[in-house]
Amino acid sequence: MTHDAGSALARIAESEAGPGGLNAFLSLADADDVQPRANGPLAGAPVAVKDNISTTALPTTCGSRLLDGYQAPYEATVVRKLRDAGGVVIGKTNLDEFGMGSSTENSAYGPTLNPHDRSRVPGGSSGGSAAAIAAGYTTMALGSDTGGSVRQPASFCGVVGIKPTYGRVSRYGLAAFASSLDQVGVLGRTVTDAATLLGAISGHDPHDATTADTPVPDYADDVGRGVAGMVVGVPAEYFPDALDPAIRSLLESGLERLVEAGARLEKVSLAHTSYAIPAYYLLAPAEASSNLARYDGVRFGVRQEGSDIASMYEKTRRGFGDEVKRRIMLGTYALSAGYYDEYYGTAQRARSLITQDFAEVFARVDVLFTPTAPTTAFSLGERTGDPLAMYMSDVFTVTANLAGIPGVSVPVGYVDGLPVGGQLLAPWWGESTMLAAAGAVEASSPGSLP
Amino acid sequence: MSVTRADVERIAELARLELGEQELGRLTSELNGILGHIGQLASLDLAATSDLTPQIRSPLPATRPEGAEEADVLRQSPASFAPDWREGFFVVPPPPGVHREPSE
Repeated sequence: MTHDAGSALARIAESEAGPGGLNAFLSLADADDVQPRANGPLAGAPVAVKDNISTTALPTTCGSRLLDGYQAPYEATVVRKLRDAGGVVIGKTNLDEFGMGSSTENSAYGPTLNPHDRSRVPGGSSGGSAAAIAAGYTTMALGSDTGGSVRQPASFCGVVGIKPTYGRVSRYGLAAFASSLDQVGVLGRTVTDAATLLGAISGHDPHDATTADTPVPDYADDVGRGVAGMVVGVPAEYFPDALDPAIRSLLESGLERLVEAGARLEKVSLAHTSYAIPAYYLLAPAEASSNLARYDGVRFGVRQEGSDIASMYEKTRRGFGDEVKRRIMLGTYALSAGYYDEYYGTAQRARSLITQDFAEVFARVDVLFTPTAPTTAFSLGERTGDPLAMYMSDVFTVTANLAGIPGVSVPVGYVDGLPVGGQLLAPWWGESTMLAAAGAVEASSPGSLP
Repeated sequence: MSVTRADVERIAELARLELGEQELGRLTSELNGILGHIGQLASLDLAATSDLTPQIRSPLPATRPEGAEEADVLRQSPASFAPDWREGFFVVPPPPGVHREPSE
């Protein structure tokens, strides 16, 4: 295991060179610029940063040809905070273009491979961050989670991934995808690693009006609190009959261990769960079509000259990949005159029902325990020709984004040698309770990283 | 809920996307598949449901303080990364139908 930035960079350079690499990183820090630090909660820890988070020392491509070589003129608040806490940015990690995807195959710079099985995807869109931890390159990484993009790759790679409450962490400097859903998240080798990084980057930021000005608890300290007396909800809709029996069995074992540790289980229902994917795939593309209008060759994007400005826009935007174009088209349609209420308005109302389901259930239980994803890591290319099949990878994670609640994926075991994650969901601002439960699941789960 | 190829051409125009013949055909089929799945929202009774969910359950109102309105100090001047920059302005091509003066 690599604990300092210099040796992490040496190991990455050695392992990622040539055809045997995972393609987890899009750029790496210069070893000469990396100064070890002993102060702060991160105390010199190497941290990988998803390449849709702005850094001034390294390019920020968002996995897109449109931002090839783009150097941000300012730094994201989360990067400044992690450096202030003693963390060292060792490199920028691969992702689905602008965060749009569930496999990291939509990167313009090629797919990232899963360290557990290189014929499989690492999940996405924060696949580079998850793979970097699973490969032992680092113990901590930043990601972003709009519909499950931290938790699903954490599940596929056997690491821990946290999506905080909407408003817990600043998004200043995060390339916007769907602004009512986006959150910066963290990934770690252990729950404590992830909780430590979350504590370092959380808090109010005057540059992001959606952040809350409330104290940040000591999340790392919460991890060992235990679950004695905690009520864990088990939502029926997340354990459908079609769920892989081997995944179901691992989740049920996790629930049994929570009971042994002092928790009580309660069966609950989140009745509108099946409407989450339809609502999400209207709302997220609608917001994306608006946010991505800035990639026009004037404000952002490598300009392709045209005879007039309309032609320049279109030639420049040829640089988007297929999935990004698909979502811009879907979102533009959903927002177009005559369809706004039928699509966007309906999806927002469905979102209200999903949020209300959570509010009612959290009046009775402290946390919910679910699978993170319906499958283990799938094969490279298996779903690239079927957008709907790819979207269904997020079926258990998008609900947290729609409602704005926190969620964490914790490894619970293996099926056929591939990791499986269990997801804990908590009420708004309930990270402390959620991490206590995650710590208990982790402490009782078998398994090790490759 | 479905779109025709003509709809897709019009959406692409609105989105400033230049799509080839093959892309238009593929996207028409894919969008119809996705819209078909999204169609299940129509089975919900939403008459009494607001579309104004309090998504941001922040303890404080989400307002930007006065001080945050100050411009960031950029590490580089826009002149160093703009495709074309003259006299403090980003230079862009003319609108359709307007031609630049020969001296420009």
